Amino acid sequence: MQADPTRKRGVTDLVGSLPLIIFACVLIYISFNAPNFLTLRNLELILMQSLPVVLVCAGLGAVVMAGGDDVVSGGIDLSIPATAVLSAGITAVMLSQGWPLAICAGVALLACLSVGLLNAALVTRIGMTPLLTTLAMFVAVVGVNNVITSSRRIDVDHPWIVALRAQEIAGVPLGIIAVALVVAAIYFALHRTRWGLNLQAAGGSRDAAEISGLPVSRLFGQSFVLASGTGYICGFFVLARGSGSSPGVQDNLMLEMVLATFLGAAFSTRRVVTMWGAVLGAVLVAAISIGFKSIGVNVFWTGLIKGSLIVIVVALSALAQRGR
Amino acid sequence: MRYHISALAVTVGLAVATSSAADGHLSLDGKTIGVAVVGTQHFWDREAFNGATSTVESLGGTVVAVDGGRDNQVHADNHDILLNNGVDAVISILGDGSVEPKFEALKAAGIPVFTVDHPSPHAVNNTTSDNYYMGTTIGRYMADAIGGEGKVAVFNAFENALRICGIRTGLWKYVLEDYPGIEIVQPELAEEFANAPEDARKKTLDLLSQYPEGTLDAIHVGCWDQPAIGVVQALEEAGRTDVLVTALDGGPDTLEIMAEDGSPFVANVAQQPNLIGSTSAMNVARYFAGETLLPQTYVDVVPVNGQAEAKAAYSALGYGSLD
Repeated sequence: MQADPTRKRGVTDLVGSLPLIIFACVLIYISFNAPNFLTLRNLELILMQSLPVVLVCAGLGAVVMAGGDDVVSGGIDLSIPATAVLSAGITAVMLSQGWPLAICAGVALLACLSVGLLNAALVTRIGMTPLLTTLAMFVAVVGVNNVITSSRRIDVDHPWIVALRAQEIAGVPLGIIAVALVVAAIYFALHRTRWGLNLQAAGGSRDAAEISGLPVSRLFGQSFVLASGTGYICGFFVLARGSGSSPGVQDNLMLEMVLATFLGAAFSTRRVVTMWGAVLGAVLVAAISIGFKSIGVNVFWTGLIKGSLIVIVVALSALAQRGR
Repeated sequence: MRYHISALAVTVGLAVATSSAADGHLSLDGKTIGVAVVGTQHFWDREAFNGATSTVESLGGTVVAVDGGRDNQVHADNHDILLNNGVDAVISILGDGSVEPKFEALKAAGIPVFTVDHPSPHAVNNTTSDNYYMGTTIGRYMADAIGGEGKVAVFNAFENALRICGIRTGLWKYVLEDYPGIEIVQPELAEEFANAPEDARKKTLDLLSQYPEGTLDAIHVGCWDQPAIGVVQALEEAGRTDVLVTALDGGPDTLEIMAEDGSPFVANVAQQPNLIGSTSAMNVARYFAGETLLPQTYVDVVPVNGQAEAKAAYSALGYGSLD
């Protein structure tokens, strides 16, 4: 007897939307148990805390779109958080030596872009696996940053950096506006320009893109440079959030970046990594973290619960994809 | 010196007894107190946290606790959650400069901040050990232990980042100015904030290969003693226990190492983290009772010089017996 295709489709859709339902249930549970969780102020807090993750997720999203979403052989860039702390480290050290912000930012930009170019060269020219290349790059760049900062914390109180954290424009924090603009610009570049559509085609089906004459390798390489650019911008938000550069920020950032980006895939209709999915994933990870703390869950349990939620969501999205 | 420590134990006991008698009127009934701690993995952090939360509860208050998991940024961000929860006061334990803007926001929202081991212009009161005494004492003990001359390496990641470390390491260096025969190895070492023992172990092994036998006399940890656990491991692995170790904090884990026969770990200054946390909570209650608080409250420390004093301090501080 043949299964009813409409019914099968319905089950698949239900499985596909279960992640959303689970997240909604968790958030509803939290909001019933934590005072002030569903307030505008808390929403602002969640957005502010998620800004650095949102930025690196946007960069990782671009690389995954250009290289395909196979975690091992497709596009991935684990070095973005290291690029972010490199940007923060160089800026903090140079500011503390009395250089003007523009010069510090310029030097940091050159350093970050060279990380992106090096990633691109190693992956597209030498043919190394992105996963291993960028993991090695992560370790190397963190090492360079440790040398630059002597592994020490450096306080930063430059008014422009402070403004990213504290300034508001018409009641909306400047940081949120700035990140929204950056994300919108990347979205525009990836979805509304010929370059972006070519880049997506290259990641969607490499063979088809090559046959139709697209410069697949070059597009993939460019995505690494774009990603290092998001890491660069993220560095300033790391400085603003922590009012300085502290060693060790990259580890949590890397974990949350990977979780949020692949969690975000569960929210797209085709279960693939998208810009908006990644951004939404980053905000949800922040919301869940803040929510659990608000209801007084022990920090170690938070890690377990977060991890389990991710596994459930990704497993469900894999099931839904198989059902299609 | 044993007399000194038992006298101190009596004094501490008396001080606690007197303060509880005099503070019988204090209450946190109906108050919700946020307690933010940078981590609970290390004895010091955990005990300061336990002291603060149990005292808040014994005074009738409710605790909202947040734990930074030994990540300064997470710790700082946790203060936003306390702000959003609308607590009546916040006790903030440790943390680097990234907490300052959070304190400022809490103060602006009318929530008083009480710090532990973190002097801040935005805090009502900071409860801490006598860091000045800690820094100079460990400087004298270390200089004596190596006979007033020799090469010394120092783990000093936080002198410029945390004020308490600036005091402790700064005064250690101040004492060494009077010992022209003591040379501090350059560059100074920087330990990691999280996972410090293992990180210090690796860095010590590297250091030992740079400085062969007879060219290094001591390794000092400038602000705490978790890295010293790894330093001693490395010295034992490399068979270099002729290099002496000194550090600060004196938790039960490091006092146990000091109490071993032939231990290279020769001097320490023990703090009373539980009493510090508890004192901070009492200060919150004093504040709500309308009493005037000084900006800093100091809690006594216990200098520990050598194996015998380590055993004595261990029992005087209530950690048990090592005999």
